[in-house]
Amino acid sequence: MRRFAPGWLPAIGLGLWTAAPTPVAAQAGTWALTNARIQTVTQGIIEKGILIIRNGLIEAVGATVPIPPDARVLDLSGRTISPGIIDLASTIASGPAPAAPAAAGGPGGGAAPQPSGRPAGYDPAAAVADELRPSAADLKAAREAGITAVLLSAQRGGIRGQSALVPTRDSLERADVVRAPVAMHFGFQGAQGTYPATLLGVIAYERQTLYDAQRYGLLADRYRANPRGLERPAFDPGLEALVPVVRGAMPTFFAASNENEIRRAAKIAGEFRLKLTVVGATEGWRAVDALKGRPVVVSVNFPGPTESTGWAYRLARKDGPDSTRADSATKVAIERNAAALHRAGIPLALGTGGLRPAELIPNVRKAVAAGLPADVALQALTIRPAELAGMGQALGSLEAGKIANLVITEKGDLLADSARVREVFVDGIRYELSAPPPARPASGGTPAQVGGAWAMTLQSPQGPMELTLTFQQSGASLAGSMASMMGNTAIDEGQVAGQSVSWATTIQMGGQSITLNFQGQVEGTRMRGNATLGTFGSATFTAEKKP
Amino acid sequence: MKRSLVLTAMVGGLVLPAAAQQPTATRAAAPARPAGEWSYLDAPLTGPVPSAGKLVAITNATIMTASHGTIPKGTVLIRDGKIAAVGANVTVPAGAEIIDGTGRWVTPGIIDAHSHSMAEGINEGTQSVTAEVRIEDVLRQDGISIYRQLAGGVTVLNILHGSANTIGGQNATVKLRWGLPVDSMLFAGAPPGIKFALGENVRQTNGPQMPGRQARYPRSRMGVEELLRERFTSAREYQAEWKQYEAARKALKKGQPEPIPPARDLELDALVEILEGKRLVHGHSYRSDEILMLLGIAKEFGFRIASLQHVLEGYKVADEIAAAGAGASTFADSWAYKMEAFDAIPHNAALMAERGVTVSINSDSDERARRLYQEAAKAMKYGGASEEEALRMITLNAAKQLGVEKLTGSIDIGKDADIAIFSGHPFAPASRVEMTLIDGRTFFDRNTAPTLQQMIERMQRRGRPNTTDADAEGGAR
Repeated sequence: MRRFAPGWLPAIGLGLWTAAPTPVAAQAGTWALTNARIQTVTQGIIEKGILIIRNGLIEAVGATVPIPPDARVLDLSGRTISPGIIDLASTIASGPAPAAPAAAGGPGGGAAPQPSGRPAGYDPAAAVADELRPSAADLKAAREAGITAVLLSAQRGGIRGQSALVPTRDSLERADVVRAPVAMHFGFQGAQGTYPATLLGVIAYERQTLYDAQRYGLLADRYRANPRGLERPAFDPGLEALVPVVRGAMPTFFAASNENEIRRAAKIAGEFRLKLTVVGATEGWRAVDALKGRPVVVSVNFPGPTESTGWAYRLARKDGPDSTRADSATKVAIERNAAALHRAGIPLALGTGGLRPAELIPNVRKAVAAGLPADVALQALTIRPAELAGMGQALGSLEAGKIANLVITEKGDLLADSARVREVFVDGIRYELSAPPPARPASGGTPAQVGGAWAMTLQSPQGPMELTLTFQQSGASLAGSMASMMGNTAIDEGQVAGQSVSWATTIQMGGQSITLNFQGQVEGTRMRGNATLGTFGSATFTAEKKP
Repeated sequence: MKRSLVLTAMVGGLVLPAAAQQPTATRAAAPARPAGEWSYLDAPLTGPVPSAGKLVAITNATIMTASHGTIPKGTVLIRDGKIAAVGANVTVPAGAEIIDGTGRWVTPGIIDAHSHSMAEGINEGTQSVTAEVRIEDVLRQDGISIYRQLAGGVTVLNILHGSANTIGGQNATVKLRWGLPVDSMLFAGAPPGIKFALGENVRQTNGPQMPGRQARYPRSRMGVEELLRERFTSAREYQAEWKQYEAARKALKKGQPEPIPPARDLELDALVEILEGKRLVHGHSYRSDEILMLLGIAKEFGFRIASLQHVLEGYKVADEIAAAGAGASTFADSWAYKMEAFDAIPHNAALMAERGVTVSINSDSDERARRLYQEAAKAMKYGGASEEEALRMITLNAAKQLGVEKLTGSIDIGKDADIAIFSGHPFAPASRVEMTLIDGRTFFDRNTAPTLQQMIERMQRRGRPNTTDADAEGGAR
């Protein structure tokens, strides 16, 4: 699965990304959007209507609405207004990657201790809203794909803490948060170098912590009711934060993609009666029985055929179709996922799940082509996620009184093949997108010459790591190898575009293959950039060419 | 380069096509396979389940029962997945699906008492005691090695945590119901178990201190013993706490406040189950001194060791093992791969069996698991075990060690119809498994298996499968 790594955007912002449309204006105020086709989502379609925005809210919407004298009028003839997309499967980083622990594990030291006493990615008290610093570039990329609100959550760990729903506006402030906390986020990634490091430990840790939270709630209630004669329960903000979770008051958003992950999440939720929403569920169709009766946030970041469960099973059947047909059949099944879940009566929202925001709508169209009704798809991008985030009264449809988050397309409705996003309103602020520049802009002239050996320092979450890169360049493509304490691995998919260099390599660790992706900018004999390290998170690096 | 290595490794595990002149087991009423497109992909689960004929008869075969001798021209009758009759004079009811066993040898399905197949995690090595982690939580149903093991007649696996920890995780006993979702592969009647480990792996895991990593206790065999004693002492205290709580609840009078339950501890829960005899201990061990140590700890705390795993020096202390009622699950002739495996001899299995130990031969390897019947044959060759004793080492004895001997492990009336059908004598070098049945259903049939050539072509077209199906042999031993 190709994962979009928003974190590296700033670093190569001057490269490919200037190709994306940019807003030319951003201003609040009172607006009258006239002559537009309006997809309200909850109250049908107005073929030629007017929508009034005032102070960040939708003041009125209808076929005939008086235009306030103070409104700036936008004639949207030939354009369609839809509610802004709400992405509950966003992978936008909520803040900068945590700094590498200083002098990690000096003599006798383990992994750097967290203030909570829990490993990183395992603190239920951690709240995204407390340290809200998503990159403006990430928010902009989302907005320009029609996404007006994203759920920010920690992307790694087992008990990842509490998420926040934020608007995709520039210079996001904490005060702009739509809702926090939305949910307690869970996943299956191990901690770094400490318990629980493997899936085995992760599940045990999660279960133990949930049992601890149940008991914590019990003791806290008793103590609150009558403290006399009772030993004071030890204060633990992590368990305190989990009490509403084990009581089903706070939703649990569990990142689970393939069949077995979904089943594992459902089993834990069943054991503790959690209010479960599976996020990801790219193989939901294989686990419909486990998902039944629960809402699902379905990622349209489709896995490849060989990434799907049962690949080996298909290989081992004599009477099966040949591999090409098996691949295409698998692809159909994968794209049919959302349709299958919908048919099974499972309420769903759709989201990016690691996909580049610009690919969201194209992939939703594939899901529609595979059988998901278009109106259900539109709801799954708007009102359903609004409801799932507990904001159904304020977001997700074009109704008077709701927040003015909307997306304006030309050449068709939001999901139409030809449609293009031209304007986005977030909290009533207008972001106009310029017309897209011609495809494939020149990306910095002739490719940099990077062949040879490089000494590289990776600032990984585990601390700095020294590596040696050996590039063999042939035009714009790169081959070679990367040597480190993780072994010597081949460079795949190496490319040079102007001064931008990218490559990937796959390491074997603990019986798992982990693909590392690198994006660098060359300046003479130096290079710096960002890396995504599979389940280990992201990192920055610097490198210097060896003489 | 990398790809070709992978391919070679995979091809090495493939099933060879049956030679054309070989007589093949035929089904009079083979279950209809869904034609055309994959019904697999539309199904919510994994694939077409092999149909379970209500009545299946394997006729005219040489039947090695593993419990009561060999029947030269016999019939096994299977009704609703259980063995309904076995013998030379079994009347096959009308309407039964017939598997012609002429020229075939029928054995109980092979049970591998030490496997790491199917697990998406082997060692939670960050702590030396992780009794709370469960292999059951991390199983994956679609590794190609499952299919290859079926092609070697294997029907049941004891999937164990690795040997990095003094007390590793809880095991999973599975039946290789290839094609079903993972929960359907769990062996429902099997009692829970757990992995213990002694010696070098435990001592050395996370031993050297490195940046970002704390050296882990224990670092010596003394420490391993101390840790076991310390943990079981804690488990006893925990058990007492809960007993006290339950008693207080029972004695509760109206109007009195409910007593506060002790904090639940998943690690100690598992250890208490061991103390109460509800959880089987599978103890990785090599040297005779550490074997005696573990038997001593078990005696001290009043539990039994269901199986000593590897136990390469078991022949030195066979009487003590037998007296403790412990099983022994060993390799046929794999040794000298590390210091503590230097005193191994290929006579180990037979010698221990001779002294009354319940002995099994295991694989600890997805590759070796495909030919455990050849491993069993070595116990005959080297140690002089009888044919039936050797067969038991990969069937009934392993079933005993896993606590499933009442359900499977031999061809006896009332047991699950877990059966392997061989092209010749299972211990003959050229014999192959033709069919493997679990609960009377055919999960492997050489007639419907792709040929080696077909598999290679598919792999070449498709590249490397994304399964967590690495050969589990190696460092874990």
